[in-house]
Amino acid sequence: MISADWSAANKKRAESLLAAYPERRSAVMPLLYVAALEHGYVSEQAQRDVAAITGLTAAQVQAVASFYTMYKREEVGEYLISVCTSISCYLLGADDVLMAISQETSTPDGEMSSDGMFSIEHVECIGACGGAPALQVNYELVEGVGPDKGRELCRWLRDARPGVVLGDEMQQLFGGRRSFDWGPAEDIGATAPVPALDAFGNAVRGHAK
Amino acid sequence: MAETGSDRITITMDGTEVEVPRGQLLIAAAEEAGTYIPRFCWHPRMKPVGMCRMCLVEIETPRGRLLTTSCTTPVSDGLVVDTASDVAVKAQEGVLEFLLINHPLDCPVCDKGGECPLQDQTLAYGPGESRFVEPKRHFEKPIKISELILLDRERCILCARCTRFSSEVSGDPLLEFAERGTVTQVLTFPDEPFASYFSGNTVEICPVGALTAKPYRFRARPWDLEAVESVSLVDAVGSKVSVQSSQNEVVRINGVDNGPTNQGWLSDKDRFSFEYINSSQRLTVPLVRHNGEFEESSWTEALDLVAGKLGSMAGSAIAGLGGARSTNEEAFAFGKFLRTVVVTPHIDAQLADGLDPQFLATATPRAAIDDLDKARTILVWSADLKEELPVLYLRVRGAATTHGARIIVVHPRRTGLDDVATHKITYRPGRGPEVLRKLIAGDGTYAEARAALDDGPVVAIVGRPGLSEGPRLAEAVAAFARDLPAGKIMPVTRRGNVYGALDMGLAPTLLPGRVAASSEQGRSRLEDVWGPVPETAGKSAKGILEGLEEGTITGLVLLGSDPVRDFPDPGLAARALAGAEFVVSLDIFLSDSSHQADVVLPVESFAEVEGTVTNLEGRVQKVNRLVPGPGQSRPAWAVLDDLSRRMGGDLGAHSAEGISKEIATVAPAYRGFGWDMVDWGEGREGVILPLDEGEQPLQYVPVDPGLRSRSSAGLSLHLARVLYDDGVQTRMSPSLASLMPAAAVYLHPRDARALGVAEGDRVEASTDLGDAELVVAYDDSIARRTAYVPANLPETAMLGAAPGLTIERLEEVVG
Amino acid sequence: MSTSILTGRMNARPTDSHTLAAYEQTGGYVALRKALIEMDSAAVAAEVKASNIRGRGGANFPTGVKWGFLPPTFPRYLVVNGDESEPGTFKDRQLLERDPHQLVEGVILAAYGLEVQQAFIYIRGEYAKPARRVERAIADAYAAGYLGRDILGSGFDLEITLHLGAGAYICGEETALLNSLEGKRGEPRIKPPFPAVEGLYAKPTIVNNVETLSNLPWIVGKGGTTYAGLGPETSAGTRIFSVSGHVNNPGNFEVVMGLTWRELIFDLCGGIAGGRDLKCWIPGGASAPWFVPELHLDIPVTIDDTAAEASMLGSGAVVVMDESTNVVGAAHRIVRFFSHESCGQCTPCREGTTWLENVLARILDGRGRPADVELLLDVSDNISPGLKWPPAQTTICPLGPSAVSPITSILTHFRDEIDAMVGALEVPVG
Repeated sequence: MISADWSAANKKRAESLLAAYPERRSAVMPLLYVAALEHGYVSEQAQRDVAAITGLTAAQVQAVASFYTMYKREEVGEYLISVCTSISCYLLGADDVLMAISQETSTPDGEMSSDGMFSIEHVECIGACGGAPALQVNYELVEGVGPDKGRELCRWLRDARPGVVLGDEMQQLFGGRRSFDWGPAEDIGATAPVPALDAFGNAVRGHAK
Repeated sequence: MAETGSDRITITMDGTEVEVPRGQLLIAAAEEAGTYIPRFCWHPRMKPVGMCRMCLVEIETPRGRLLTTSCTTPVSDGLVVDTASDVAVKAQEGVLEFLLINHPLDCPVCDKGGECPLQDQTLAYGPGESRFVEPKRHFEKPIKISELILLDRERCILCARCTRFSSEVSGDPLLEFAERGTVTQVLTFPDEPFASYFSGNTVEICPVGALTAKPYRFRARPWDLEAVESVSLVDAVGSKVSVQSSQNEVVRINGVDNGPTNQGWLSDKDRFSFEYINSSQRLTVPLVRHNGEFEESSWTEALDLVAGKLGSMAGSAIAGLGGARSTNEEAFAFGKFLRTVVVTPHIDAQLADGLDPQFLATATPRAAIDDLDKARTILVWSADLKEELPVLYLRVRGAATTHGARIIVVHPRRTGLDDVATHKITYRPGRGPEVLRKLIAGDGTYAEARAALDDGPVVAIVGRPGLSEGPRLAEAVAAFARDLPAGKIMPVTRRGNVYGALDMGLAPTLLPGRVAASSEQGRSRLEDVWGPVPETAGKSAKGILEGLEEGTITGLVLLGSDPVRDFPDPGLAARALAGAEFVVSLDIFLSDSSHQADVVLPVESFAEVEGTVTNLEGRVQKVNRLVPGPGQSRPAWAVLDDLSRRMGGDLGAHSAEGISKEIATVAPAYRGFGWDMVDWGEGREGVILPLDEGEQPLQYVPVDPGLRSRSSAGLSLHLARVLYDDGVQTRMSPSLASLMPAAAVYLHPRDARALGVAEGDRVEASTDLGDAELVVAYDDSIARRTAYVPANLPETAMLGAAPGLTIERLEEVVG
Repeated sequence: MSTSILTGRMNARPTDSHTLAAYEQTGGYVALRKALIEMDSAAVAAEVKASNIRGRGGANFPTGVKWGFLPPTFPRYLVVNGDESEPGTFKDRQLLERDPHQLVEGVILAAYGLEVQQAFIYIRGEYAKPARRVERAIADAYAAGYLGRDILGSGFDLEITLHLGAGAYICGEETALLNSLEGKRGEPRIKPPFPAVEGLYAKPTIVNNVETLSNLPWIVGKGGTTYAGLGPETSAGTRIFSVSGHVNNPGNFEVVMGLTWRELIFDLCGGIAGGRDLKCWIPGGASAPWFVPELHLDIPVTIDDTAAEASMLGSGAVVVMDESTNVVGAAHRIVRFFSHESCGQCTPCREGTTWLENVLARILDGRGRPADVELLLDVSDNISPGLKWPPAQTTICPLGPSAVSPITSILTHFRDEIDAMVGALEVPVG
């Protein structure tokens, strides 16, 4: 039924996603995430796959994939570091955090490092204003990260090379003020620069080092 | 405030009360009332989207004045609108300034200059200066998005007309917005070009020069062009066109919005096949065969030769084929020439590849194209309309998406209408009668479709899905459909003026004006004007070619007809022409059949002739002349008139309009019709005949011919046309010739496996009538035990339309 | 002066407030039981109407009135707007992460009151952890029989689909959200028709904010009129303010409205960090015109009082700026946000927001001209005619006029700062 050349597990996920909506086309957005996990990023082939599954043209899928910032249509590094630079984080020095991280990883804003380890980007408000300045690694949040802690975080990612990126772990090590009490630390995180959700199969239990 | 009738209301516009249709969009109501509100994204034939914001006006509301887009505001009772208030004017100026800040200064090199809504509206509604000193955004420009169309994203103002047309009207969403915000752009997907049959429409409706057409790019400036209105002769829909020339050469064809037929849209074949008119291969001098080779001749010598030869043969040993691509006047002259000068009853405008002529020309009750919009259920049992009658396909599609009509498609494989069809019945060619019986009975899976057909009004579009299916099935379907609630039928076949040709009597069973050839009264009335016409029954195209093969017919006159190429049994056609004693062909190119003629006479073509044509509704429209024919080519009617006189006859044809007057006298269905009726004003929409003064003596009532399903072992052949085939109009238009698809034999993957072949294998495909060497392709939409072969491609032209097909894998020759 | 309708459980049970067990142990799903067994749909809808609750997403439209717009046709859909992306706002994130079952119960109650059988929860893509919490809560609710067929034996069926966004602020606009949910670009639609009449898949649809629906268990449990009695009549109930910027104690604060800005900034949030002076603040998210201490400190924090001061409470996001702030830089940062987030459909927003951003960037870069100030005003006027409040718009949706707010704010309150930057400030003689 799923006419894309995907792993059996991802095909199964695709079927569940299609069944969750009254109309097939609605599944385009979650399918693009699964396609990103299947191909490493939202490549042309990933978009063709989603078109075949949903019965849309590839142009229609491209129209959606290119509208949203979280569908990465070029190769993305192992660790995607998204630094918020909207108003609240800006007031609390986000531009310095972005510069520090960019320098530490030798990666210009908006690009991937030459060794494929990091992609750096500035983003708009990620809803962590009470813990400004804030950033995400593979969409797992770290709040209250100044320039120095930001550099340390990069060095740690390179050295420890965590297979699962855990928000609580990073917050413990490098974070500062939080928007609110996070409650107990969680050991579920992301394995790729795609938001980690059970439905996508990429919300994985990890162990803090 | 007063309601002046249930469908008209009064609004106040710019201080004046005006009466407008209830519910009409304000922008359209204003225009009809004489006030033009500037706009870019709004198009009268598409849903409004309010995106460009150019049409902002102020309306009064209980909460004060509201600035709103007039294209998304339907008029309501008592609406008060100010289209040019200070606020509205400032807003409009502001929108234009915004549009121009990133628009490149391309006017000197842009095709659109001179007919550009952005230029025009900037002049009329825009600010005098630009205040933008920031860097403009840039894109690589232009980029090729298909073989025909180029895209310049810098010029694009993102009105979405092209993307909306593609998804909403033509159903080919290959062009869509991409990215977001200030870098939003129109784009195709890599390696998936904008290969739509309707892509040219987007160039025409683009309000700037963002989309340009390769066949026209840089060729002329609009102020240099001369133009006439005419009718596309690519197919029988009767799409209205504007033919445009520069220095006596046709350079462009645009669509004209004719409400009842094409509503402004054209297929790319309608639009770009004008190139054949200018081809250097056009016939320009008469050719006479001497010692087996063609030699250029003079008109006098050639016509004398033809007159002498035809005059020396018995009338009934001569036959005439053609006229389906000519005007009514030319076709009438042809019929009169054959019946009264040659004195033969053997005439056929079709080549056994259409439907019964009486059925096609006079079936009742006949549907008009507009009836599709009023239908609740539409049955389509014919060729794939998207390939054969593309603009009709757009109208059916529109009926489904805009008017909610249910569409039932019956066909051996996928068609362009499948995605808007409520029911799709796939069947194996030959089993049609059985499918029809089940549909009529509403058996099993057919129950829902049958129930839908009881919800009228119903329109049934009937034809031959493929060339290897016979013509009688369409009549059986029509017999069923005409008894459905408010049921109307639309028998369809392809050639540009086949309906006009049949109306002029170019069939063995018809006399001019929708009169049966067997009608004593009809024949007697005709003879009152023409003198004696042959009484014996005439042969149809098949009989004529068989006669030529066996020698009972020895002479053949062709008018724009190519049986060697188009007759479904190519072997018979070839033998027939080879065996003929004398063949004269009136043609515009040296077609395969003309190659075999003894005399070839060059005639004028589309855009070079003046006359009328009749479409599949029986609607007559005017074809107008814009450029002279090449070299010594002459109008076909003049050639036939000249020939007649040399044969001692007299067609009495002194002008095309004169012929038209005789048609009105002689053809009952055309009584009362004159050119002036369709030359200007509302008459430009054409008139469906007969008028009140006229009558249609023959009213063909289709009956179920009691067909039986045919089932064969092996594969059933579905031989069907594609839009860009090897026909002359495509082949001689360089822009379109490259779009001809690769030939293949399409099989269901399971059938392929069972036959021991795979996609990509080369096979020898054979019917009882011919062979072809083809590549195998998979088609998972096709009925089982069926093979689809696109007709009339160079590789498939000799296959022949027989019911069954065998294939044999060709071994690779290693060497 | 805080009540804890929404945040009570997460404060009382910090270690496990997000779990089903903790939720059931603290009164969770009791209101649902009461509604399904003792009340009919109309009665539940009536409680919501009686509560006078106004939508907490930013438009502040009375929820009960919105529900009343549904025509009597089926099917209809309920869509939860969890696309919280207005800069300065992070309240829904806390509700999703720390008390997801409260939302789920609210959604089921709303669906029951609206006679909806299919609901969607749309959460912005960047909220991976909150979305996981909701995902787990939905799964647990299904397992416990609170979702699916014949819930608690009542005969009521409800399916919930969780849908993740992918990074587009504009999808917080309800019609853009619906387009996004349909698998299209997140482009706002022309209104009318409104979603209640023609919404998801062209069917009648109600779109409600996360915080709005999270109130329903309390409203149905304690009664709508009880809720209406909290706080001022036209700003009833509690709401959560997200405060950020240069304050000592940023965070989410659930309050009954009516306190003043002075109390909010200096008492609740501990005043300005580092002992600096307050320069200005944004009362309701990046789209709102700014307030200044000279004029607004003693205005009550209510929806209507804020509107009367030509601004809006919006999503309840307060961004505080101290004296060290380069207000032109801050304005530019906000305008840049809107330029990035513009969907691109309509001319004035697509071209205008970027033009405004370019001019401000050029001014910040030291290449401004005196004429640029008038230019900023006139370009703004071509997006939002009259530069008035509530704003008029030449655009399809309010995003364009939102970009104008920071510009009118700095030109109204800090004109001399921008004039100095462009070299237009007249130096007084003598």
